[in-house]
Amino acid sequence: MKIDRRNFLTYTTAAVLGGAAGSMLTPAPWKLMDDVSIWTQNWPWTPVPEAGPVTHKQSACTLCPGGCGINVRFVGTRPVKIEGLKDHPVNKGSLCPMGLSGLQYVYGPDRVGSPLKREGKRGEGKWKKITWNEALTAVTDKLASLRKSENPQSLACITGSSRGTLPSLIGRFLTVYGSPNLLRPATVQDANEQALFLTQGKQGTLGFDIENADFILSFGSGILDGWGSPGRMFRLFGTRKSEQRIIQIEPRLSNTAAKASRWIGINPGTEGALALGLAHVIIKESLYNKNFIEKFTFGFNDWTDDAGITHTGFATLVEAYSPEKVSQITGIPKPLIESLAREFAASPRPLAINGRGQGTLPGSIDESLAMQSLNALTGNINQIGGIYIVPEQTYAKWPDLGMDATASKGMQQPRIDGAGSDQFPNTRSLLNRLPGLINSVKGDSPVQALLVVDANPMYTLPDTAATRKAFDKIPFIVSFSSYMDETAAYADYILPDHANLERYQDIPTPAGMAHQTITLATPVIEPLYDTKHTGDALIHIAKSLGGFVEEAFPWDDYETFLADTLQDHWSDLKEKGVIEISPDSKDSAVLSFNTASAKYEFCPAAATRQGSKDSNAPSAYTPAAIEGDEKRFSLLLVPYDSIRLSGEQIANSPFMTKTVEATVLKKQMTLVEINPKTAKTLALKEGSKAVLTTPKGKASVIVHLYEGIMPGLIALPRGLGHTAYSEFLAGKGTNTNDLIGSVEDPASGFDMAWGIRAQLSKA
Amino acid sequence: MKEKNDYEHSKRYGMVIDLDKCTGCGSCMIGCYTENNVPFKADETNKLDSINWIQVYKLTNGKPYPETEISYLPMPCMQCDGEGKLGHSPCVSVCPAVATDYDYSTGIVSQIYTRCFGCRYCMAACPYHARKFNWWDPVWPADMEKYLSPDVSPRMRGVVEKCSFCFHRYQLARNKAYYENRQTEELGEDEYQTACAEACPTGAITFGDLNNKSHAVYQLKNSPNAFRLLERLETNPKVYYLSSKKWVRRQGDNYLANEEPGLIKKIDKQHH
Amino acid sequence: MNETPLIPAGVKRCSKWQFSLWMGAVTAVLIWGIYAMFLIWYKGLNQTNMNDAYGFALWIWADLAVIALGGGAFFSGFLTYIIGKDDLKNIINFAVIIGFICYSSALLILAIDIGQPLRGWFIFWHANVHSMLTEVAFCLSCYFAVLTIEFIPLILENPRLAKKPFLHHLSHNMHGVMAVFAATGVFLSFFHQGSLGGVAGVLYGRPFAYREHVFIWPWTFFLFTWSAAACGPCFTILVTWMTEKITRKKLVKQEVIWLFAKISGWMIITYITAKTIDTLYWALVTAPSKGFTLMDFYSSPTYNIGLLFIEIVLCGFVPGLILITRRGRENSFFLMSAVILAVIGVSLNRWVMVLQVMAVPLFSFNDWYTYMPSWQEVATTVLPVAYGLIVISLAYRYLPVFPQEQELNPID
Ligand SMILES: Nc1nc2c(c(=O)[nH]1)N[C@H]1C(S)=C(S)[C@@H](COP(=O)(O)OP(=O)(O)OC[C@H]3O[C@@H](n4cnc5c(=O)[nH]c(N)nc54)[C@H](O)[C@@H]3O)O[C@H]1N2
Ligand code: SF4
Ligand code: SF4
Ligand code: SF4
Ligand code: SF4
Ligand code: SF4
Repeated sequence: MKIDRRNFLTYTTAAVLGGAAGSMLTPAPWKLMDDVSIWTQNWPWTPVPEAGPVTHKQSACTLCPGGCGINVRFVGTRPVKIEGLKDHPVNKGSLCPMGLSGLQYVYGPDRVGSPLKREGKRGEGKWKKITWNEALTAVTDKLASLRKSENPQSLACITGSSRGTLPSLIGRFLTVYGSPNLLRPATVQDANEQALFLTQGKQGTLGFDIENADFILSFGSGILDGWGSPGRMFRLFGTRKSEQRIIQIEPRLSNTAAKASRWIGINPGTEGALALGLAHVIIKESLYNKNFIEKFTFGFNDWTDDAGITHTGFATLVEAYSPEKVSQITGIPKPLIESLAREFAASPRPLAINGRGQGTLPGSIDESLAMQSLNALTGNINQIGGIYIVPEQTYAKWPDLGMDATASKGMQQPRIDGAGSDQFPNTRSLLNRLPGLINSVKGDSPVQALLVVDANPMYTLPDTAATRKAFDKIPFIVSFSSYMDETAAYADYILPDHANLERYQDIPTPAGMAHQTITLATPVIEPLYDTKHTGDALIHIAKSLGGFVEEAFPWDDYETFLADTLQDHWSDLKEKGVIEISPDSKDSAVLSFNTASAKYEFCPAAATRQGSKDSNAPSAYTPAAIEGDEKRFSLLLVPYDSIRLSGEQIANSPFMTKTVEATVLKKQMTLVEINPKTAKTLALKEGSKAVLTTPKGKASVIVHLYEGIMPGLIALPRGLGHTAYSEFLAGKGTNTNDLIGSVEDPASGFDMAWGIRAQLSKA
Repeated sequence: MKEKNDYEHSKRYGMVIDLDKCTGCGSCMIGCYTENNVPFKADETNKLDSINWIQVYKLTNGKPYPETEISYLPMPCMQCDGEGKLGHSPCVSVCPAVATDYDYSTGIVSQIYTRCFGCRYCMAACPYHARKFNWWDPVWPADMEKYLSPDVSPRMRGVVEKCSFCFHRYQLARNKAYYENRQTEELGEDEYQTACAEACPTGAITFGDLNNKSHAVYQLKNSPNAFRLLERLETNPKVYYLSSKKWVRRQGDNYLANEEPGLIKKIDKQHH
Repeated sequence: MNETPLIPAGVKRCSKWQFSLWMGAVTAVLIWGIYAMFLIWYKGLNQTNMNDAYGFALWIWADLAVIALGGGAFFSGFLTYIIGKDDLKNIINFAVIIGFICYSSALLILAIDIGQPLRGWFIFWHANVHSMLTEVAFCLSCYFAVLTIEFIPLILENPRLAKKPFLHHLSHNMHGVMAVFAATGVFLSFFHQGSLGGVAGVLYGRPFAYREHVFIWPWTFFLFTWSAAACGPCFTILVTWMTEKITRKKLVKQEVIWLFAKISGWMIITYITAKTIDTLYWALVTAPSKGFTLMDFYSSPTYNIGLLFIEIVLCGFVPGLILITRRGRENSFFLMSAVILAVIGVSLNRWVMVLQVMAVPLFSFNDWYTYMPSWQEVATTVLPVAYGLIVISLAYRYLPVFPQEQELNPID
């Protein structure tokens, strides 16, 4: 047979077909099919987690100041899950979404794995890995040179909080170095502390015995949106007695409002007026606790001082806040104000609480005083179900500081932020004023070097543009952040701290707790990367600076320092993880006040005694001077808090962002909430793209119609709009701080801006 | 092999979620992610390609300010007992490859990722959108693979996954009982709890054996405020909800204009 | 050696050049589709715009539609071999080819659609006999095998292949037993067309799709078979007509077409009557028992009540009535209008039973689900069309598809 092209093809085809058919009769294809499917079940790029013995280690969550006890589940040496610690006095097993996703912070892509030195322009993201030695030397050299030029006060340090031993260590460092400029953000705790000091003459934080209160009047406090210690608050809500009533007063139907027994809408920023209006009704109808008012308070009625000047008492003061007038201010119907006052006063254990949303903004002192006055009217001071004063943690005495002339001179300089000055005598820190002050200085910045510890001011400070401008003027910025946050990304050096679970940290009484606790976060894993505890880094720098600075730090490392500081408590804490300090036997604590009158002093008596106010022109309700021209900006922008978002220095984990609803974030854009009625007047529909403009800036947003918000308002979630971090957070939505500035409380300097005027127009 | 246990005597694990206590915090979702190695991606805002074994929905009464009310509603897999006979769950009955199955000893609807070939018929069948498809290969960036739990195998692209009532926890509890020479029938209520129930900071989720009189869920499910989602479809969910709000209970199912939720008699009362 | 021509004797075909140009164009579309198909296999179903609510989408509709339209094959087989309508032998070859294309496409689409194509065989190996999809997979593959067997003898009739004695005898013997296969095919078809209807009808969690049962089958089971039998022939007629227009030749005698159209017309009328009864029962009894009104299902701008009118009246009763009346079907304009309406009708029915099922929200707090296919989905859906055109073109060119072609187009 001749093999030509055609029959070659024919036979080849036949052979192939025959072969194929034949091979189907062999096991090969069937085996292959099986193997292939088994391969799909074991794709090498799908991880197979390693198994091992299961153990648990207890520690505490340090991702927010909540201070929750955690139980970390290990498989072999790997932590695989964080769960709540059932017998921890703060959270009793409850955790918030952030704490639950704690492992994502440790292992996630946002970690800074080694000390870094900036290579490109600030914020450009070009870094050079350096050794710890190089990093510490660079910082030491800079700090030494500032002292050498007799300019130690130009070193400033921003910390996330002043509570706990690390801020104390930093404070000690700055003092012996010669700078008074330890700054930190203020929260409603600070405002409440000041009000507490004015009325009771004691230093301490305000605790709320929410567990035992039966009528909670919340002036916009997001008790289920992250206020206080979220772990505690959620647990309390879940286990509360059915007779406990929660009245939530705020202009937006928040999650707290939704869960409250009753939600009352109020014009934003007028909570203080409402408190005084309630006091008006309570006093007018004689519903207050007469025994307490007569025996234990001062300044309820008009009074005359030693110089013979007559001062307005609280009762007279609130006369001006009739239900009619308050109704006008707050937008709450008059009968409702009256019935609310009566209900509050009639409850056996009523409790007024304050701090809008998560309480991250302090608000005015007037406001804090007004809320405390309500509690005083019912006599619920240091009483079960009332407010308590929680004393500051007292630490062991450290060896005395020796200070050289440079340090003494530096320490005599006024603080840059004006805190503690004649203008704001009771205020400890005013970080909100820092950018403005730096920017207003012509020539060199008063801050020549900035250390940032556990803080992310480039994101959390109001008016991001101003903050950036101020930071541009600071020649030397060091971040000690564990994560590549906005401030770290803008720093010159990053000296990364260990992450949560990797480091020691003591946690004093969390915000809002009515009694004192100390919790110790113990490291449960070895540090993953080339990081260093900031305490150790600072001790190292102090030692390298020599002289008195070195002498002030006789400790080898932070752990020794911590043990030495906590002394008696240290071994207890190491063993139990938490200790509870029961209040001085309640009876003796009750009703002892350290004021001049040895009584609870009503506003404005207290304020008058402090010499900062003219009591004949009392202004018990100071509306914040909200920025913006009413004509150009017909709407009000109010930021809101959500427990699924973090607006604080530690940002969202990927899991938290994953839970964010599609009505809050869509792709890379934030949705703003607006009442359908208002939207209609603006010709905006659900899902419309719009431009949100305020006197501070502009943002592209999507419109979400929400019946649960007062007409005329726009609500914007806090916690989005990050520019740093990884793709799991960066570039998603709008940072409220880009659009909002700070408004100073004339009495305290605290930021009292609950919002800003704004306009929303179709994009 | 399936064993068709006597309905009365087998376990029927179920949940009662108290919506009055649910604050919409989302902890249950995160508790579930971390327990079950649920993956995540950079953009999770399209909830229709976002893997959540429990999804918290936000309901509103639709009234204008200030009469507006909202309620959150967490929705895991309902572990449907199914229409008519036990085990005829909407999804189980349609899966062509038995990659999802009804376990007669617990009432739990399983999902075997390595058996599933991704036809998604079960997703079409499930009225609760409880089933999620792996549209992408899961990726754990940086060192995140290190925190994965070995109790639940990570899934591969192209398969369906869903809430398992943390079945691995049942297995662990069962094994423990076995080693301690106890019968699985004797498993205590707290020996087997789901991760979401544990994670819920307000204790809104109660989990247990609906057939066991000593378990909390047994009583809770009989509350006058109790309802199940889309009960009228006869899916027989084992997840119950409690709400003191009538409008919430009404949104749990579909009703004609003239119908009242409480008055529509459940067609299948046998499961009580 | 004198080459046996590839083209069957006694018929005229276009030039090689023209043919190549046409094939080139269609192949380009095919390659686009194949590219999309490989993208989907390689990167996964994230290449589509399907999502967890829209787990079934465009190509599953195409799959169902194509199977319904391919129904001309089994139904003509049924009429020819079982009822004995011999006239239809003149169109059955073409019906078989269209069926073959439809079913092979359907299988290919299924292989693209599943998330784990390499495990696709689990549907057979780990079969769940209670699943409609299992039934579909088995029947579909078996029927595809039958169609292949029905197609082979026709292929073997290619003059050059027929010259080989072995192939010639094979072809001859296969013809002999074809009635058996046709009968098997008909049986299988009744089932899988039904199972496809069952796929949606058993979804008792989806009140829009769910239908009451007769024995173990939901109503849709029967309606799907019925509608495929009714409208499949219309598609065969339509494709024949298009082939005739393109080739500018009469290929099948008009009497044959009329006969096929008449039978189809009566099937449509009976089908649509049954469908109307089904719809009424569903709207008045089934849906309300689950808390839905009919209008709840048609409250979106896309899915409005107009669809139901189009499906039942415009694309149901209208073509049915045209085809059962002599004057209607013998007027070529009416005939083709009816045929096209019927094809649209059955395709719309499949669309509704796939896409609308997914779109209807089940909770009052959910909105309608929406979906827009990605280009990859469109390309993979177009792929079978290009493939079909290629197979039809090759078959028409090289095989004696139309027994009446010679007679109708004598070559001088
Ligand atoms: N104490 C103790 N422990 C042991 C052993 C021992 O001797 N003592 N033996 C060890 C050994 S050798 C083995 S092999 C293991 C066996 O342990 P496992 O692998 O857990 O074995 P099974 O429980 O048989 O199967 C697991 C599940 O797979 C499901 N399944 C069925 N078909 C498929 C499929 O196609 N794909 C997938 N993914 N799942 C499917 C079944 O429904 C079953 O529930 O146990 C190990 N563990
Ligand atoms: S509330 Fe704060 S401390 Fe508690 S778990 Fe959440 S982040 Fe951690
Ligand atoms: S909820 Fe859905 S997935 Fe779960 S058992 Fe029911 S039908 Fe199946
Ligand atoms: S997607 Fe998987 S589990 Fe679902 S029906 Fe298909 S094979 Fe079964
Ligand atoms: S029961 Fe388990 S698997 Fe299901 S949602 Fe809860 S945590 Fe997730
Ligand atoms: S964790 Fe509890 S309170 Fe939070 S959303 Fe889930 S069920 Fe609701």
